[in-house]
Amino acid sequence: MTAKVVNRRIRLLFVLLALALAGTLARAVWLQGVRAAPLSKLAATQQRQTVELPARRGTIFDRNGVPLALGEQATTVYADPTQVSSPRVVALAAEKTLGLDAESLFPKLLDRSTSFVYLRRKADSTDAEALRQRDLAGVGFYTEERRSYPQGAVGAQVLGFAGADNKGLAGLELQLDDVLSGTPGRETVIRDPFGRVVDVLSETEERQGRDVFLTLDHRIQANTEAVLRSTVRRWGAKSATAVVLDPRTGGLLAMATVPTFDANRFAETKPELQRNRTVSDTYEPGSTFKLIPIAGALSEGLVTPQSAFTLATTIKVADREISEHEPRATVRMTVADIVAQSSNIGAITLAQLLGSRRLASWVDRFGFGAATGIDFPGESQGIVLPLERWSGSTIGNLPIGHGIAVTPVQMAAAYAAVANDGVWLRPHLVDHVVGGARARVERRRILSKDIAAQLSTMLTGVVAEGGTGTAAAIPGYHVAGKTGTAAKPLPDGSGYSTSKYVASFVGFVPASRPRLVILVTVDEPTTIWGGVVAAPAFQELARFALQYLEVPPDDPASAATETP
Amino acid sequence: MVEYAGARRSRARVRNLEVDAGALVRRFDWVLFGAVAGLVGYGLYLVAGITRDDVFGDPDYYVVRQAAYAAAGGVGMLAVSLLDPDVYRRYWRQLYGVAAVLILLVIPFGTEVRGSQRWLGVGSFTFQPSELGKLIVALAVAGFLADRARRVGEVRIVLGAIAVAVFPALLVFVQPDIGTSLVYGAVLGAALFVAGARWLHIGALVSIIAIAGALVVWLLPSVGVDVLEPYQSDRLTAFVDRSSDPQGASYNVQQSILAVGAGGLRGRGVVNATQTNLDYLPEHATDFAFASLAEQRGFLGAAILLLLYLLVVWRGLRVATYATDAFSAIAAGAIVFALLFQVFVNVGMTMGIAPVTGIPLPFVSVGGSSLVTNLLAVGVLQAIHARGRRRW
Repeated sequence: MTAKVVNRRIRLLFVLLALALAGTLARAVWLQGVRAAPLSKLAATQQRQTVELPARRGTIFDRNGVPLALGEQATTVYADPTQVSSPRVVALAAEKTLGLDAESLFPKLLDRSTSFVYLRRKADSTDAEALRQRDLAGVGFYTEERRSYPQGAVGAQVLGFAGADNKGLAGLELQLDDVLSGTPGRETVIRDPFGRVVDVLSETEERQGRDVFLTLDHRIQANTEAVLRSTVRRWGAKSATAVVLDPRTGGLLAMATVPTFDANRFAETKPELQRNRTVSDTYEPGSTFKLIPIAGALSEGLVTPQSAFTLATTIKVADREISEHEPRATVRMTVADIVAQSSNIGAITLAQLLGSRRLASWVDRFGFGAATGIDFPGESQGIVLPLERWSGSTIGNLPIGHGIAVTPVQMAAAYAAVANDGVWLRPHLVDHVVGGARARVERRRILSKDIAAQLSTMLTGVVAEGGTGTAAAIPGYHVAGKTGTAAKPLPDGSGYSTSKYVASFVGFVPASRPRLVILVTVDEPTTIWGGVVAAPAFQELARFALQYLEVPPDDPASAATETP
Repeated sequence: MVEYAGARRSRARVRNLEVDAGALVRRFDWVLFGAVAGLVGYGLYLVAGITRDDVFGDPDYYVVRQAAYAAAGGVGMLAVSLLDPDVYRRYWRQLYGVAAVLILLVIPFGTEVRGSQRWLGVGSFTFQPSELGKLIVALAVAGFLADRARRVGEVRIVLGAIAVAVFPALLVFVQPDIGTSLVYGAVLGAALFVAGARWLHIGALVSIIAIAGALVVWLLPSVGVDVLEPYQSDRLTAFVDRSSDPQGASYNVQQSILAVGAGGLRGRGVVNATQTNLDYLPEHATDFAFASLAEQRGFLGAAILLLLYLLVVWRGLRVATYATDAFSAIAAGAIVFALLFQVFVNVGMTMGIAPVTGIPLPFVSVGGSSLVTNLLAVGVLQAIHARGRRRW
């Protein structure tokens, strides 16, 4: 070995090292010169994160400020399987504190391909706290808002519900979602690699959801549901609905569909129970619809309440022969009698006097066949046969409420127009949004004040001695109303059931200065008569509401006769 | 043809150790001295920036400690540079034994940090024997080869040299510390190369290392034999197949590349170096020190450092050519190569062109054992230079 060899090799070594240094320098030029801009942008994006600041969902209050739907603090519990040291311990702890099934949870915790698993979304905060106390690795918590319905079943179908992400999915929660949900804020945070927030850069404040006051009264609503429940039970009915509204404003005080359910369990409830049937479902109204031909005939000046007609035992319209509910001899009846005794032949006679065209226009005028525009999603507009498709017998069916389908809200609004001196008001549920003005209620006059008064007087005859709705009478008050007993159409459309009926009663009280319009429909009761099944329910509802609202009696004499 | 004195003198009389210190100092390579002093000073400046946020409330914690090590290492360097390098040739077996024992002691008594047991603790002071081992292996292999300089072309001599280096490399490998064992391998290769081993042997050695590496990293795991822990092979393969695991080893490399790139030409400064400050860059004071300094000081700052290394390479290898004996030449070559090997692997890994192994950046990475060892190694170079051929 010679120094010459060594020196040659050392020079080689120098060349090698110098080349390596040059290569390194070249790489640095590439990264720091050419690629500097995109790389520093990448570095910035991974450190910055825009996070959403959830906005509080507004509370829904009843007209008295009692909360019907509100957000409460809940704790969402999650696990990061890659951080969980003992899946078994975590699974068992979650079973004990959150009531989860450890067996099904365990495999999820073992799956390290993901770093996020919900243990329970929006868990009760105290349960979550119990789990937090265990201080388990890989288990995390964050606060979320959970929608809660403190009144339980009261108004469940009306309120609807908001889903896990606090978005309104049904009912008023859906209708009012824009107002209630507010606008989430945004902020840009600088995070370290462990996700901890190091700095907050820019911030847009979240705009909290706005609170809403309804026209509903939770006590009237609760009582309405209770009365319907007992009515359904008493008459072995399938279901029942009721609408209670204030004819002076169009505001709904109660809107009930029975059977009910706990609003907190909306999502687990069968869809057919979730529907607010007073808005979304229709029924054939039967005799309550007689109001329309009679109002038409009076308004057109064809008759007065005292106009008398000789009515045969049956009436033949086209190919159909229509009789009364109960057989009677040929009699002479005034228009008022026709109303009080709910004469089919009388109503048809008046309708024939009016004629098809004018009858059809009065049906429209009362708002049937069109959505009322109530502030509730999924409103049905009902089914009204257009004039050009009327058959010869239509003039015999329609006046007595057959061959037409209406929603309870439409019918209640029609009677409310009579109660409100002839002015129809759009029924509504929202009184006002906090911080916003009261919406102007759409109104239109459909009857003259006089005609409305005449109708009102005649309707009190229904409840008076000799009428079909005496069971609706309330001591101390004049009650105006109308019974309805309608056979349900067969599902195949071939005709009408002989055993399945909808019994209904709609009326207002006090008749002289109406404060309440109440409609009750009972689906498939064992006893079919509206005067027997629905009128007592009306009476119970009205009594409660009158007392609760401290409405002064307009007929103290009748109260005196009852109290000996 | 000039033969080295050492080759003839191996069993001859001991050179007089009593030297004229003043004369030696005058014969230092002052350019090398200046380059190293510059590296140490520049390194401290870089460390001050890199570690500013590492100890809450005490931004100077690491730089003060590092400066203390630099001072101690400087004293050591001066002491070593006065010592005749022939001492190492004569006593390399003893030195080698001490180093092996220290590395062995780590196995029962070592302190574990992040899954690796590399440190011996004495009170609050920790010491990493494998760092000192880098210098001692270089001296030992040089000593072994210098004593057999005439037969360096023989296979058994090459194998003997391999045995000398591989034994400590294995001890370090099981700590586990792949990076340091790689450095030992580099020392061996450089020593054999400088000593004049045959190209055939060097080529065979390189091929065998390459094949063994491939076996350990790719082939054996594919048939179910795992020599390395999964994290180790991930780290080694991450630079080849960067998309294989975005969350794992390549994450570090990605973050490192982002840091280097984000530094740009002039750097983001200490305060704005978010990759370093927010801890996106792992181990930024040690293994990824280059990425961190590149982020803070930019290309200009990194280039200054690389040029200082180039100066050290030039002067260090120049020392080797001045050596008057084979041992000095081989030792100098091995020392310089080991130093620069560490620079390349460290810098290369931070820029995604070398595997991720825990090798410190010489004179910069925080760590006393590394800094002191490197300064002692430079002391050995100075000693060789001082006794080298007079060309001035």
